[in-house]
Amino acid sequence: MNLTQAPVLDTENLILRGPELRDVEPMIAFLLDESRSGGFGAASNRGEAWRWFALNVGHWHIHGYGYFTIEMRDTGEAAGLCGIWNPEGWPEPELGWSLYEGFEGRGIAFEAAKRARQYAYEDLGMKTLTSNIVPGNDRSVALAERLGARYERTYHNPHMGKDMLFRHLGPDEVLE
Amino acid sequence: MIPVLHTDRLELRAPRAEDYPDFKATFSSYRARFMGGPLNAYETWMLYAAEIGHWDIRGFGMWMVHLKDTEETVGMAGGWFPARWPEREIAWIIWPDKAGKGFALEATNRVRHHFYEDQGWETAVSYLDPKNLDSIRLAERLGAKKDKDAATVDGSDVCYRHPSPAQLRSSQIADGIALEIQNYINPLFQPKGFPID
Repeated sequence: MNLTQAPVLDTENLILRGPELRDVEPMIAFLLDESRSGGFGAASNRGEAWRWFALNVGHWHIHGYGYFTIEMRDTGEAAGLCGIWNPEGWPEPELGWSLYEGFEGRGIAFEAAKRARQYAYEDLGMKTLTSNIVPGNDRSVALAERLGARYERTYHNPHMGKDMLFRHLGPDEVLE
Repeated sequence: MIPVLHTDRLELRAPRAEDYPDFKATFSSYRARFMGGPLNAYETWMLYAAEIGHWDIRGFGMWMVHLKDTEETVGMAGGWFPARWPEREIAWIIWPDKAGKGFALEATNRVRHHFYEDQGWETAVSYLDPKNLDSIRLAERLGAKKDKDAATVDGSDVCYRHPSPAQLRSSQIADGIALEIQNYINPLFQPKGFPID
């Protein structure tokens, strides 16, 4: 069951869809595994992780966008999260991504992020996008750069602390 | 999808993005000290988003309480059942400058009736900070009693159990609450409760 008004976005290998009840447990497992979700914002207990699931649903209602669940087109498995994030205190709307265990190294995050970026520019009408990456998260830096993003500045994020802001290519550069 | 509930003075509606500043003012203040606050702007926004998402996930949640007359918000009341909560909770918060007028009693009594009579709840609890005397007093005015045997959220709270649907249907509790609410609307007597802060 859809919990939000999120659209369904297609790529060659992936489906990006809004959060559903069946996503609760995989997302909680991800948020409780600090080795995976440390760069995303890990939860210290199950209650906190559940709350994050709930607030992503609320984020969709408040802003009309949020994190999609990345679903594998062939198997239907949830592979991770990707979307646009902009809670109060964030410098600007952010293009974010994170993969669940076992889904890295297959180009999934790149494919999902590219599609979410297109959605932000085409459907949401955004004019620019950033990604916030904590220092040391080299995989995300590599992906941001592969997407064409450039490091802009380091700032203090209210949730993550010291954080690097990357600026993505604009709509004129990526929309055809 | 989220029902609108009415009382004599109040209209309970779904929490919306435009109500957020009122929520923020309270949750970033000392008023929120028994609810994990005061929170910073980021935490406040995330909590409000979670309040909205709770509705979709659980099918119930916290209503935004508006005055019928002016439409202004005075607080929130409803059900709360995130992960780690032992049972479904009835919860409330009234903005500090709206306290002492019986709004929490009127709103909470209404949502409890809705959960019992429209949603089929057979019991309900409220998890209260033992230092939160205003809320403990309100729970008692609602007929709730400390349940020493019930699980708490994390041991720092106390569990108050509300009267059952049957108890509310066939006792003087409901009449007493209705009388007290009427006294706020038309104060023949001074109410028993008053805000400490």
